[in-house]
Amino acid sequence: MRLPTTRRNALILTGALAVGLLVVSLCALALGSVPLSLGDVWEGLRGSAKGTDQAVIVREIRLPRILLAILVGAALATSGTALQALLRNPLAEPYVLGISSGAALGAIVALWIGGRIAPASPLAAFLGALATTTWVYFLGRRGGRLASYTLVLAGVVTASFLSAAILFVLTMLSTRDVRGMAFWLMGDLSVVTEAQLRMLFPLVVLGFAALYAFSKDLNVLLLGEEEAAHLGVNVTRVQTVVYLLASLLTGIAVALSGAIGYLGLLVPHLARMIVGSDHRMLLPTAALGGSIVLVLSDTVARTVVAPNELPVGAVTAVAGAPVFIYLLRRTAG
Amino acid sequence: MIGRKKSRKRHTAEWISIVALALLAAPAQGGRVVTDQTGRRVMVPEHPSRLVSLAPSITETLFLLGAGDQVVGNTDYCEYPPEAQSKPHVGSILSPSLEKIVALRPDLVLGSPEANRRETADRLEQLGIPLYGVTARSVDEMLASIADLGRLLRREAEAKRLVSELKQRIDAVSRRVAHRPPPRVLFVVWYRPLTTAGARTFVSDVIRRAGGKSISEGLEGEWPKLGLEEALRLDPDVILFPRSESFAPGLEEFRSLPGWRNLRAVKARRMFVISDAIIRSSPRLVDALEEVARILHPESAR
Repeated sequence: MRLPTTRRNALILTGALAVGLLVVSLCALALGSVPLSLGDVWEGLRGSAKGTDQAVIVREIRLPRILLAILVGAALATSGTALQALLRNPLAEPYVLGISSGAALGAIVALWIGGRIAPASPLAAFLGALATTTWVYFLGRRGGRLASYTLVLAGVVTASFLSAAILFVLTMLSTRDVRGMAFWLMGDLSVVTEAQLRMLFPLVVLGFAALYAFSKDLNVLLLGEEEAAHLGVNVTRVQTVVYLLASLLTGIAVALSGAIGYLGLLVPHLARMIVGSDHRMLLPTAALGGSIVLVLSDTVARTVVAPNELPVGAVTAVAGAPVFIYLLRRTAG
Repeated sequence: MIGRKKSRKRHTAEWISIVALALLAAPAQGGRVVTDQTGRRVMVPEHPSRLVSLAPSITETLFLLGAGDQVVGNTDYCEYPPEAQSKPHVGSILSPSLEKIVALRPDLVLGSPEANRRETADRLEQLGIPLYGVTARSVDEMLASIADLGRLLRREAEAKRLVSELKQRIDAVSRRVAHRPPPRVLFVVWYRPLTTAGARTFVSDVIRRAGGKSISEGLEGEWPKLGLEEALRLDPDVILFPRSESFAPGLEEFRSLPGWRNLRAVKARRMFVISDAIIRSSPRLVDALEEVARILHPESAR
């Protein structure tokens, strides 16, 4: 039931997913511990009823969260898609490569040294992600090229080392900081400023556009490195640039949202089931799919134990693991 | 935002928000800028009348001050007094629902740096909802906190009465336990890993005032971990556990746990589960004080 890759199909699918995202986001704006009608949401968005409770809830509480979910979901899914193609490894995703653990350690160390959790920690988290990316990159190189399995193994080992370091620092922190940190480690979309959203938006769009420019190279790389080289692809350059772009995209997402697992792993697989592995169609499908999945997950996190809230990473993990096992059985059998 | 350390930038941001709030609120109903118990400056209404409490200890104090009717919302964990349970809940202490708080239209939210997350405070500030920080790390600070809340809520007389009544009970306990040799006490917040109360907590203060001596008094931090070996070396006379639903083993089970069963207090069955009021800095701390004094010095209770 895969759609053949034509320009027309690509446009139709992208359009349908964009409309889907809009509908899901509008529903997410209406759902929450305080029930609102779609009419309230509309008035809140238009700003015609400024200062009312409904307007404050829609514009100040739910909207920033949903926008953050859209951007982070797209960033993680795009990054996962690119890494899976680059490393020809279905398990490759930002988290397996240790990038999120690096970000988490950065944020925790900043807190330990005496910063507050916001606004210093997104920067520290990003620096942590950058340092880990560089480190894993150099570990994963063999004879000037990125060696897929070496890179994945280097990432896995680095991630587990960083997790140990995180646990060490957590025992040194005061109880109060640990509570906030524990939430962040499980993925938390509830804290974001408009300035951060304004910064995140162009970065995610640019990151996506840059990766999209490599779609054809990624398609060819799927055939194998030798074959790609014969077909005139500068393998080393593509590998380096795509790996760095995907890591940066993850780094900025994790810096603002904490560690949200499974999204970067699963959404690319789901997208591939629908459109196949032509990255010209796969990347936009995965990006929009990632946004939809994360907005849905965050809505569940906000409503399922309302007025309490769950960390969104707990929702994606609980839902993601069974879906992954299902996909595994399906493709294996 | 309830944090004690503040950068200059923070201050500026606070001032801007205070000025902004003042401009918004002043013509409507008037307000005053006060310093809360954590040292932050907050713009509060002249007569706060719609209160949301984000911590059980604060809820208890508000009800004892006779401000129960003004509480329009509290947390899932606010169980005392029983009337508090029927108030609308805004969620847990760590992740309350901001939209629920907004919908309750509070003119003042009360929270505590010991209970709530910083993020909650930050978000409330962004939304322009005044947050008053309440904190107490000792019995004296708890009394001072009541008096302060009395001024904040224009209930000075009730606060004065409450404080003097509590002081009488505290003094009665000190008279009873005076000149008695203090038993050495281990307070177990959690047993795995063994977590206890540090010097600068109301728990250690209550134990001291009840005529005991906490063996973890020298430890840094609020809730430090104590190695079981160290506990064996210090070998306390009495072990106290706060009552809690999640407390895994029953007291008898400690008699078969290696390490634990070698403790003198375990062998002599000098283990007690006490009211969880001891880990809440509310006026009920004095109930806990009396209970601990009865346990440590049973002969004095008569």
